[in-house]
Amino acid sequence: MREENHERALQLIDKMHLEGLTTAEREELQAHLESCARCQEQERQTELALRAFRAAAPRFDGSLVIRTQMQVRVRALEITENAARLRALWISCALSWVLGVVSAPLMWRGFEWIGHRLALSRVVWITGFALAWVAPAVVTAAIIVWRQAERAVGSRQ
Amino acid sequence: MNAVEQEAGELAAGLRRRDPALIDYLIEQYRYRLFRYLLMLTGQRHEAEDLFQETWIRVLEKGHQYKERWKFETWLFTIARHLAIDYRRRRHLESLDALLQPADTGRPLEVEDTASASAFEQAFQGEEAARVATALGHLPTSYREVLTLRFHEDLELEEIARVVDSPLSTVKSRLYRGLAMLREWLKDIYA
Repeated sequence: MREENHERALQLIDKMHLEGLTTAEREELQAHLESCARCQEQERQTELALRAFRAAAPRFDGSLVIRTQMQVRVRALEITENAARLRALWISCALSWVLGVVSAPLMWRGFEWIGHRLALSRVVWITGFALAWVAPAVVTAAIIVWRQAERAVGSRQ
Repeated sequence: MNAVEQEAGELAAGLRRRDPALIDYLIEQYRYRLFRYLLMLTGQRHEAEDLFQETWIRVLEKGHQYKERWKFETWLFTIARHLAIDYRRRRHLESLDALLQPADTGRPLEVEDTASASAFEQAFQGEEAARVATALGHLPTSYREVLTLRFHEDLELEEIARVVDSPLSTVKSRLYRGLAMLREWLKDIYA
């Protein structure tokens, strides 16, 4: 028998286990195996190796499940609490924005009045107004970013 | 809607609302399969245990990303795999990423001692299993990984490709080489 016939049979043995064979390939392999002890042995070795691999059972520590379930529940609680806190933060943020918009004309007049009283240039009191107006949003954004960064570090550890 | 689709829909909905009872059930259901996969991947029992816990916490956190058209175990193993790579990077250990992407150089029976054989021996039970464990310890991680997904998990080749985030051709090549190495290593046992 030619060497390439054996090589082809060995390829088909592996393919049978890994991908499956077409009917024609199965018949071809079957015909070869019936007359080739060497390839039969290869098929037997493959079967045994895979049987042993499938049967290999790592020891499993049952307490790992309980520990994991507890950890998951603790984390679920943390997530719920964080979500509630974050929701409160967003609500206060939205309220602060609404109040900021409503009070903007009054604040504008107030800064204008102070600017006149202190003889400040227009640029200075307008800058003061802008800073005072955006300050709550900047502080809130900083808190949110800081908390998210802290959470990201926490989840990496 | 058939029963399988309905079950997948319920699973996705439960994960979205972070239902602790559902996650408890999933941990029970997949405990052994996930642990075996992680052990095959890392070759270290304590690392596999850490990653087991981290994986379920990640399932809780990222449950809303799960799509009901996905097979749950494929998604679970993908998460576990990413965490294993991340775990190694964080601890400045040998890069698992590098271990999982060996150069496909066409050397079918080259032996690489990527994981300690004794670590596997400690993790497996039974005399024959210990000998199999020795063989497993000599397989490159990426080969061991695809073999376990194929023969322990019975995943289709396309599903394996999705889990290991590699082309189908790479998965096939790893499977063929892995099988050849496994056969070679176990030959002595049955000789």
